[in-house]
Amino acid sequence: MTSSLHLPRGFSRRSLLGLGVAGAGALGLAACGGGPTVGGDDGGAGGTEELDLDFEGVEPATSIDFWTNHPGGSQQVETELLAAFTEETGIEVNLVTAGSNYEEIAQRFQTAQAANSGLPAAVVLSDVWWFRYFINGNIIPIDNLVDQLGIDLSDYRDSLVQDYQYDGQQWALPYGRSTPLFYYNKDHFAEAGLPDRAPETWAEFEEWAPQLTQGETAYMYPDLAGYAGWTLQNVLWGQGAAWSDEWEITCNSPEAVEALQWVQDSVFSGGWAQVSSGDSADTFAAGVCSSTIASTGSLVGVLESASFDVGVGFLPGGSVDGPVCPTGGAGLGIPAAVSKEEQLAGAMLIEFMGRPESTVAFSAATGYMPVRKSADLTELTAETPQIQTAVDQLDVTKPQDFARVFLPGADQEMAEAIASIVTEEGDVQAAMDGLKETLEGIYTKEIEPKL
Amino acid sequence: MSTPAPRRHNGPFSRQNLWATLTGGYLPLLIATLVMVLPLLWMMISSFKAPQEILSTDLVVLPENPSLANYEAAWNSVPIPRFFLNSVIVTAIGASIKVLLAIFTAYALVFVRFPFKRVIFVLILVALMVPPQVSILPNYVLIAGLGGVNTYWGIILPGLGTAFGTFLLRQYFLTVPTTILEAAELDGAGHLRTLFSVVVPIAVPTVATVALVTIVTEWNDYIWPLIITSEASRMTLPVGLTALSNSEGNTGAGWGILMAGTVLVILPVLIVFAMLQRHIVSGLTQGSVTG
Amino acid sequence: MTRRARRDALVFLAFAAPNLVLIAMFTYRPLFLNIQYSMLDWTLGASTATFIGLDNYIEFFSSDAGLTSLRITAVFTLLTVGGSMVLGLLIALALNVNIPGRTLARSAVFAPYVLSGVGVGLVWLFIFDPNFGVLAWILRQMGLGSPQWFLDPQMSLVMVIIVYVWKNLGYCAIVYLGGLQSLSQDIMQAAQLDGAGAVRRFFSISLPLLSPTTFFLLITTTLNSLQAFDLLRIMTPTGRGTNTMIFESYLQAFGGYSRAGYSATISVLLFVILIVMTVAQILFVERKVHYS
Repeated sequence: MTSSLHLPRGFSRRSLLGLGVAGAGALGLAACGGGPTVGGDDGGAGGTEELDLDFEGVEPATSIDFWTNHPGGSQQVETELLAAFTEETGIEVNLVTAGSNYEEIAQRFQTAQAANSGLPAAVVLSDVWWFRYFINGNIIPIDNLVDQLGIDLSDYRDSLVQDYQYDGQQWALPYGRSTPLFYYNKDHFAEAGLPDRAPETWAEFEEWAPQLTQGETAYMYPDLAGYAGWTLQNVLWGQGAAWSDEWEITCNSPEAVEALQWVQDSVFSGGWAQVSSGDSADTFAAGVCSSTIASTGSLVGVLESASFDVGVGFLPGGSVDGPVCPTGGAGLGIPAAVSKEEQLAGAMLIEFMGRPESTVAFSAATGYMPVRKSADLTELTAETPQIQTAVDQLDVTKPQDFARVFLPGADQEMAEAIASIVTEEGDVQAAMDGLKETLEGIYTKEIEPKL
Repeated sequence: MSTPAPRRHNGPFSRQNLWATLTGGYLPLLIATLVMVLPLLWMMISSFKAPQEILSTDLVVLPENPSLANYEAAWNSVPIPRFFLNSVIVTAIGASIKVLLAIFTAYALVFVRFPFKRVIFVLILVALMVPPQVSILPNYVLIAGLGGVNTYWGIILPGLGTAFGTFLLRQYFLTVPTTILEAAELDGAGHLRTLFSVVVPIAVPTVATVALVTIVTEWNDYIWPLIITSEASRMTLPVGLTALSNSEGNTGAGWGILMAGTVLVILPVLIVFAMLQRHIVSGLTQGSVTG
Repeated sequence: MTRRARRDALVFLAFAAPNLVLIAMFTYRPLFLNIQYSMLDWTLGASTATFIGLDNYIEFFSSDAGLTSLRITAVFTLLTVGGSMVLGLLIALALNVNIPGRTLARSAVFAPYVLSGVGVGLVWLFIFDPNFGVLAWILRQMGLGSPQWFLDPQMSLVMVIIVYVWKNLGYCAIVYLGGLQSLSQDIMQAAQLDGAGAVRRFFSISLPLLSPTTFFLLITTTLNSLQAFDLLRIMTPTGRGTNTMIFESYLQAFGGYSRAGYSATISVLLFVILIVMTVAQILFVERKVHYS
């Protein structure tokens, strides 16, 4: 410490200058920060630089990072799968817990993007995030890699692969993919003298509801944050409505308002439904509600913690025919700002994780969908018969509304609007008019100029 | 004016004082203590419960079969000893440097002649008003550019500059009588010797306060370590704790595992605090009055 | 410059420069960058951005969301500062009696202050859970239903205020206790002999004499409340009803909107508010001290 008293004079000067009485110096430093390039009004889409997507003759990197939030509590099975991958390819994979949910992993991914460093070779991206990465040029289209590695897209479940197509290109492949499932308490249903199945329509359930008095409520709407925008597509579609028709926001159409009015009535005037404030699967497993809608990803956890027989079924339909079940969950993508060697190795990892036997192992551990058609499900369904329902339901799924998955922040706005309807008994039409305005604002501001 | 002779106090448990002591003294203390302690006790009890005991609308006060299953689950899903070690390393290095920097800066601001001292002090004060969230993105870009992601120095460095400690110590140093300093100067002591053999010994309680607040902040720091670490080998305890609360993955067992993880984060701090509380609390009571 | 002055300047720099450089690099530099970002329409993750002048500032003050955040910040700050100071003072008075066991109580009261905001948030989330939480159970025994802590935005705000006060009142209590103990016993005894009751002694003697302590606490707790973050984020991840400015700034950048420019705008505004509040408090108190 004494030495600091006898610093060479030049050093002190420099540190004085660098300090520049703090302010000026900091301003100077600010100039060389790593932020964005400021353009004119044209702004333009991100990722305008020409991407080199030719992987001919590229050698895969020998060590890569894989960012995941272990969806569905999948850390164990991910570790096992990665060990098998390393054994086969010799590529070391560093399994990074990059967040505890889809938002945190996105937060980290975007921060790393701003610094343009520390990015992984493959990353978990959820249904509401991948499009933003595409818009910002953060991920690469993987068509060339699919060809080169001989990945058979036709063996993937069609609706799940199509979710990641835009602009005629494939931007990711499905990974921890879920659909909502209707969970019901078989004991409660039996006591109420109801058939041992999920209701076919919501109208049917409404007739059943008065008999379901064994728990605190007949039906529990899932936690609004993260689920309202997703699962209410079921109710909207059943009434021939939707959040949006492609880019046109339709959430305040008469059909949509009617459908959401029904939701409000189920909570207030009908009184047979409540809104969960935490994980609705938890309240279901505890017998608080007789039925709920939750992700397939909660299936294994519910089966383990419930002390009664758990029944699962397709989502109830509405008055209009057609698919009423949205897909959801996460896929795997490849960041644009890493070396081609890493991108190739990342693609190999994605190929491996998507193999029929990998996806079965993943499903068995979590309850997520096996994403391949040729996956052998006999063992899986022998152990957990309920998963067959989830797989069967895939045939009647429908891609999600653009408004929910492609508009940044739309999911939060939907949850907010629904909250005002079902927790404060706010006017449905007014809430939906407001939501439409907000969503259109997001579209014109964030999406339209960049398409 | 004549000073009245101090009245002789009877002990708190003497007959005439007993009732007053109980209602006026112990009752409020008891309520205050319970309100503070019961939530933490509840956390500990719950960490030993089975999922069915937690997910029950009837209150289960004590677990029927207290089990370490939640701890095992927490222990197996994240490397808790590693997190713990990381937290200790980051806190020990970070807090020591910060306290030293604060002492040196405050001494310079008070006892060393230099132009613009007031300006510099105001700039330090203003730094207290910069919300830490403001600096996440720019600091990440800078530290990542220097290769600091997933390194101890990357976690520690951006937080090292200390405005709070400097401020508190400066306020205290101002109250040190100049005669003491003059005496030291007459003895031929240099600034370094004056600082460590004269000023710091007087300021021990305030230094202890600064040390406590610094240690607590470092140990509990959450958002910066969350951003700058992506590998479990460098994560600190609070970051690791949130990794336990995985969405959709822990249906049923979630709360028990989280409570077990929380106990592991909170307990070490409570133990250290219990051992040092006498010094810490008296340091804080003395140190801050001068502010 | 004399040799002595030069030597002093060198000593000053050697002592203070490391800290000052660090503060400049990691506090001021981000601050100035944020001012720059705040005038951009910049999607986090995008490599380009558009300069839009003060549009972000105009949006904050003209949108419902912005004004709501401002209002929530005010409510949260007022209630947490007021709550922890008043309760802290009451507890300090209770602790300021010479009876065995008070050291234990003193530590218990102060303990939550040193705990991790993340940990404390999780513990209280579990307590507040409307289905499985112990609080809901207590309310049920009293024949009441649990408020919808997580669904009703107003109740969410009440909840985080309660927990924040719980965590921080120990700090106020301990600082007030220090203040009380430094009061001269002679004055108190004189007043007691003059026949002043405990309540009057408190209001006409203790409280005025404690005003430096009160001032110190007012500044530090206000600064802390305005920057409270961990607890809010853990307990109410979506920020519905609890999006104080600092939280709103975080949510705008990382909570799904990816609006890095607008987020920076809110941070800059918060910084300005912090400065103004502090200066106002200092001026107010200096005047008061001057006249008394």
